[in-house]
Amino acid sequence: MATETDRRSGASTAVSFPDVSGGQLLVHGGLVLSIFLMGLPLLLALVMSTQTTTEVYQVTNLQIGSDGLSNYETALSTYNLGQYMVNSFVMAAVIVVGKVALSLLAALALVYYEFPYERAVFVFVLLTLLLPVPVRIVPLFQLMADLGWANTLLAITGPYIASATAVFLFRQHFRTIPSSLVENARLDGVGPLTFLVRVLIPMSRGMIAGVAVITFVYAWNQYLWPLIVISDQSKQVVQVGIRFLQGASQSGLTQWGLIMAGAVIALLPPLAVLIALHRPLLETFSLQQK
Amino acid sequence: MTETTKPYDSTLGAALLLLPTLVVLVVFLYYPALLTFRLSLFQTLLLGTERAFVGLENYVGLLGSGAYHGSFLISVAFAATVVLGTLVVSLFVAYLLFQVEVGESTYLVAAIWPYALPTAVAGTVLLFLLHPTLGIITHYVEALTGVELDWFTSGPLAFLVVALSAVWKQLGYNIVFLVAALNNVPTTLTESAKLDGVGHLRLLRRVYLPLISPTLVFLVVVNTIYAFFGAFPLVDLMTSGGPSGATNLLIFKLYRDAFEFSSLGSAAAQSVVLFVVVALLMWVQLRVSDRYMHYGA
Repeated sequence: MATETDRRSGASTAVSFPDVSGGQLLVHGGLVLSIFLMGLPLLLALVMSTQTTTEVYQVTNLQIGSDGLSNYETALSTYNLGQYMVNSFVMAAVIVVGKVALSLLAALALVYYEFPYERAVFVFVLLTLLLPVPVRIVPLFQLMADLGWANTLLAITGPYIASATAVFLFRQHFRTIPSSLVENARLDGVGPLTFLVRVLIPMSRGMIAGVAVITFVYAWNQYLWPLIVISDQSKQVVQVGIRFLQGASQSGLTQWGLIMAGAVIALLPPLAVLIALHRPLLETFSLQQK
Repeated sequence: MTETTKPYDSTLGAALLLLPTLVVLVVFLYYPALLTFRLSLFQTLLLGTERAFVGLENYVGLLGSGAYHGSFLISVAFAATVVLGTLVVSLFVAYLLFQVEVGESTYLVAAIWPYALPTAVAGTVLLFLLHPTLGIITHYVEALTGVELDWFTSGPLAFLVVALSAVWKQLGYNIVFLVAALNNVPTTLTESAKLDGVGHLRLLRRVYLPLISPTLVFLVVVNTIYAFFGAFPLVDLMTSGGPSGATNLLIFKLYRDAFEFSSLGSAAAQSVVLFVVVALLMWVQLRVSDRYMHYGA
């Protein structure tokens, strides 16, 4: 570790200059190495996804394969991953829009309305954190069957469009909005929905983006529930779709190149969303901690 | 904001705004959860078409089941391994991010990407790269250490491989929160400790860890919940609970009992046990976050 250097630079002068000492070099080295190791499986998967099955079976072959992007084409078309991707996008979009909209309305009521049992309602919403899907999975499955929702988009979105976390985050954020703005709205006699659209939403863009990212990543990651409630393969989501790829084999050899291509495809959307919106996401996380 | 500045007072208006959220929560969360408790008191026969009230028999059955005990112990050990592994690695990376003076935000984005990594993708990629015969990582680790990593037949190795996959997926989220917590530590504290020539490890143990303990507890809870519930795709894709039950986590056993063997009553009782686990974890988090409130920003 960098103890030695830090001690010297710290003791030599009271003013702290940017440290380009050995200590900082070690820190940079450590970070580059850690990040490399975290990304290594993904890099390897990318390389293997371009290889033919024969090349993949030469275990230490690390060259870009001769298959190019054909594994991706095969996964998307022959193995229907394209359809699963569309299904996942539709599911995630419905959940994101539904959850953000419902939670904004609920937070509006909780923060800006005077009504009885307000605290109790909030606690009632928060207590659902105790009820993840596995705690109610069998009756929920039966409920879907009773509603005739099995194998539909409703089954994989409906139970997810209300959320304690999103209501909590919007409530926290609304409470930081200056009361002078609220006072103005009151004096102008602005109705609640106009107030939401004209004042609250514009002032909550970052928070809405953050909640949208969290929700998108969460929705995209769903596996157990779609696996159970969607039995019609053509309606399945991409995470479970990867499972179907595992059966892909060619003259008795598992087509790992194809499976890696499928894994990369299924990772790209949430990764792109994270990279594009990491700023609002980080701000939202910092609010979650308070 | 004080109570008096609330601009609206229509109870009906508030009810209408809350209605969509409350309806979803009642219909899809509270109601099925209550049914779970009820169902756990019944035994289902003929693939669930008939039910007989059996009282606490399903719970008694779980208490006396060696398979369930095994699954429970494995889940607890798995959670402990995932929590410890994730926190140690994340803390290391987060501390480096906290120390670095140039390029922190670039490094941060590069370090938190596993947050976007779907669990099924993590499991699939590592299933191949760590494959006993085809995995390139296995190949080099075996060449370097001389140890044979045949985790398709070795229970403990399979357990570790699944845990490693879970840790990989959890790193991003943990690093985000740890960096934020470290950045919140008052700089005066660290400056004086540094001037006293305190080494990094002692600094971490004596100054930082106590100060960020609320975040640590939060992450222990989050990672434990992930290990109990979120790791399902790993088991399903990598090991199917084997070899000989070594990775048969409670969530996987519940899934099979309910949807492969149609023992709905027993599955419901297992759901109730999982509910108790979540409730305990949430209680711990609430207690601790209350106690440490004064460290908050």
